[in-house]
Amino acid sequence: MKLVASCKISNQGVFLNSKLVPNTKSTETNWKKELYTKTGVTYPKFYKMDALAKLAFLSYSYLDKALKTESYADNDIALLFANAASSKTTDLKYIESYKEKGSPSPSLFVYTLPNILTGELSILNKWYGENVFFIEEKFDPEFYLEQINFYFSKGAKGVLAGWVESNDTNEECFLFFVENNGNELTIEELTNLYKS
Amino acid sequence: MSDLRETLKEQIIEQLNLEDLTPADITNEGPLFGDDGLGLDSIDALEFIVLLESNYNIKIADPSEGKEIFHSVDSLAAYIEKNQ
Repeated sequence: MKLVASCKISNQGVFLNSKLVPNTKSTETNWKKELYTKTGVTYPKFYKMDALAKLAFLSYSYLDKALKTESYADNDIALLFANAASSKTTDLKYIESYKEKGSPSPSLFVYTLPNILTGELSILNKWYGENVFFIEEKFDPEFYLEQINFYFSKGAKGVLAGWVESNDTNEECFLFFVENNGNELTIEELTNLYKS
Repeated sequence: MSDLRETLKEQIIEQLNLEDLTPADITNEGPLFGDDGLGLDSIDALEFIVLLESNYNIKIADPSEGKEIFHSVDSLAAYIEKNQ
């Protein structure tokens, strides 16, 4: 399992392969919109996404600069995502829409499952491989490596893996892409990547 | 009638949860749906129906009219002005 690239984003900036991308740290509440503008990507659906999907989209937009996924077939890449709070923030907004505002919001309902973000990334890239979103107490490197090896055993040639969280106190996304060859990525290396 | 258009832009942002957009990001004449516009889709058309009912007490009698009515802020405003 060879680590190809990683990307971590929060309002502290974008860290591509553990190096801060210049001018990506922000103190603004709309820092995700700032980052979107800086990516140079035109994807109007960004504005429709909930915070969780925006974080994954933004992080992938930067990670993509360090990837060469064109050589993969449509179903070669699997997606493995997890977080602790699922889509709780959007779930609460959805509840508010029908309890406080009198009408359940269809556009919020769409995002009341966290795996909508894996769908967004699959549609964006026209990937048809396996994808899954787990709920875990915390980022668990051992769990990721086990799951990635499972995907490889089922024929995946690359895995885009991520931990994405959005709640009142924390907004972050950590993505990494691994290929089914090369040296073994260790638990310690993955732990250090996440913490860096 | 420009006030109606500005109000509509604020209501669209609120109703569709487009929290990173401002009214200045939405033009009067530009398409709201599809990749050439705000990227809205059929789910958002439902939100427009709710918006018209809850804010303007307007019910769309013929759903097939939706595509034309919801094309832009201008077309939405024109429909509201005609039916209020």
